[in-house]
Amino acid sequence: MAEKKMIYLQPTAVRIWHWLNALGIVTLCATGAQIRFPEYFSIFGSYSSVISLHNTAGYVVVFSFFIWLIYYVFVARTMVKLYVPTVDDLQNGLLRQSIFYFFTFFLGGDNPHHPTPDNKFNPLQKTAYFVIMFILVPLVGVSGLLLLNVEPLSGLIIMFGGLKVLVALHYLVACCLCAFIFTHVYLATLGHTMIAHFIPMWTGWEEELEDHSDSHESH
Amino acid sequence: MKTAFTAKFLLYSLLLVLVFFPLGAAAMESEDCLGCHEDIETVGDELFINAAVFDVTAHAELGCSACHESVTDEHPDDGLEVSKAACLDCHDEIGEQYAKTAHVEYAACGDCHNPHQVRGLNEVSGYDLNQQCASCHETDDVVSSHSEWLTQADRHIAKLPCISCHTDSEDYVIVLYMTQRESKAVMGDFELSTYQDLVALAKQEDVKSLIDLDNDNKISLAELSTFNFDSTYRSMRLQATLTPADVSHTVETLDNRWDCSFCHTSGTERMQTSFLALPTSEGTYQRIEVESGAVLKALNGPPDFYMMGATRSTLMSILGLLIVIGGTLLPIGHGSLRFLTRKNRMGKGE
Repeated sequence: MAEKKMIYLQPTAVRIWHWLNALGIVTLCATGAQIRFPEYFSIFGSYSSVISLHNTAGYVVVFSFFIWLIYYVFVARTMVKLYVPTVDDLQNGLLRQSIFYFFTFFLGGDNPHHPTPDNKFNPLQKTAYFVIMFILVPLVGVSGLLLLNVEPLSGLIIMFGGLKVLVALHYLVACCLCAFIFTHVYLATLGHTMIAHFIPMWTGWEEELEDHSDSHESH
Repeated sequence: MKTAFTAKFLLYSLLLVLVFFPLGAAAMESEDCLGCHEDIETVGDELFINAAVFDVTAHAELGCSACHESVTDEHPDDGLEVSKAACLDCHDEIGEQYAKTAHVEYAACGDCHNPHQVRGLNEVSGYDLNQQCASCHETDDVVSSHSEWLTQADRHIAKLPCISCHTDSEDYVIVLYMTQRESKAVMGDFELSTYQDLVALAKQEDVKSLIDLDNDNKISLAELSTFNFDSTYRSMRLQATLTPADVSHTVETLDNRWDCSFCHTSGTERMQTSFLALPTSEGTYQRIEVESGAVLKALNGPPDFYMMGATRSTLMSILGLLIVIGGTLLPIGHGSLRFLTRKNRMGKGE
């Protein structure tokens, strides 16, 4: 019989960032859909209301991004360790984790990755989060801030190729983040219970099974 | 004999005068007036008429005497005061509209429209339509008052003619115009290109040739694309604005301007028609039709004209949709297999 062990996996600052970020990004996706396709969506009322809500949610995501950045760089000092994939992660870890997700998982096999506070993410997560947090979120954030200040920053926008290029970039990256949400939430259900990975992001504590005979996965 | 000759001479002279005098008087009248009034040193600032500007107004076709009836051949030696027609003598319908607005207490026709310079909507760039408004309404004040409710008021005020919102037109058209960087600074400001600027660039009088490469008086998507990506025109940039399809003097703001629906939620169908306004040697603008749907194109149209909700590119929309659908494939595909193989994980939390 497996022995349960509780691990403090998600510190308070990370949980605050995560849920602020989640609320912000979901709001941005929903309001963004109405802003781009106003003929088809009108859930947030008038166009000016939806613009205001989208802008506010944008600032919330930028603010939460800095909570995340400051916490991991200056407080926990585990940014590189947690988020930057190693050579081994890229050469072997990605394949190993993919084989688990797409093959051995269905046969009832074990997750090759066991999360610890210093190594929370499996190689696939690490790579995905690296791309998301270091490339996609900054891109969508910077393009969003430029789009919020088109007139005063028009010189800079022209340098980037113009307003249309900027809007296309903002929209396509936002679609990538929206697509990620579906995958992210689904993968979070792959713990030893459906909600096993949701609980630590709310309480901070993850239940780990000592003998590793069960599925271990963090989202 | 001498008497008969004199009588004949007088008769022919009279006939000649009768035949040619009216034509001569009509043909010469405006020229006579401008003979003095286009010389600022002769008549001074107030009475100076810029002939080149006046000649292309609708008023020039009527001639000076149409509005200044009392002018005699002896003017100005006769010492008579020159009469001026009232604008409402001809523009009575506009007057009725305008009389119902709050503006009527503050500005007469001439305060906004100089009759010797006034032009039709299609003969101005779109960019410079706000000059009349700006003579009373300071731009900073306008931006400040609009900021109280309008997102990015500075952008709206800088890029749109005031009358796009403050008129009761039920439709609008998109007008493209050329701008160019005034300084060599990387982020230097772009200014409206003048006719002389474009002549220098085109190296010929026909500035249309800069963009209408096949000279068919229509700008195709391919021609727009060529212009946008031609490194020769790196300092040039196509901009665009909205102008009302009809002009009125009601100066009212309809509800669809307050709630942004006039422009932003009107759908891409309304964004199909656009024109390129090019400056002419007379100081006016000529409008050239642009291929339908140009401003919606991600790459070909004006690179800085984007109105959220209305000018979205279909290609980009489809790409984005495919990305989002891609994100649902893992949950759907993996989830289905997970459900079918759930027995393999019995006792492992499922």
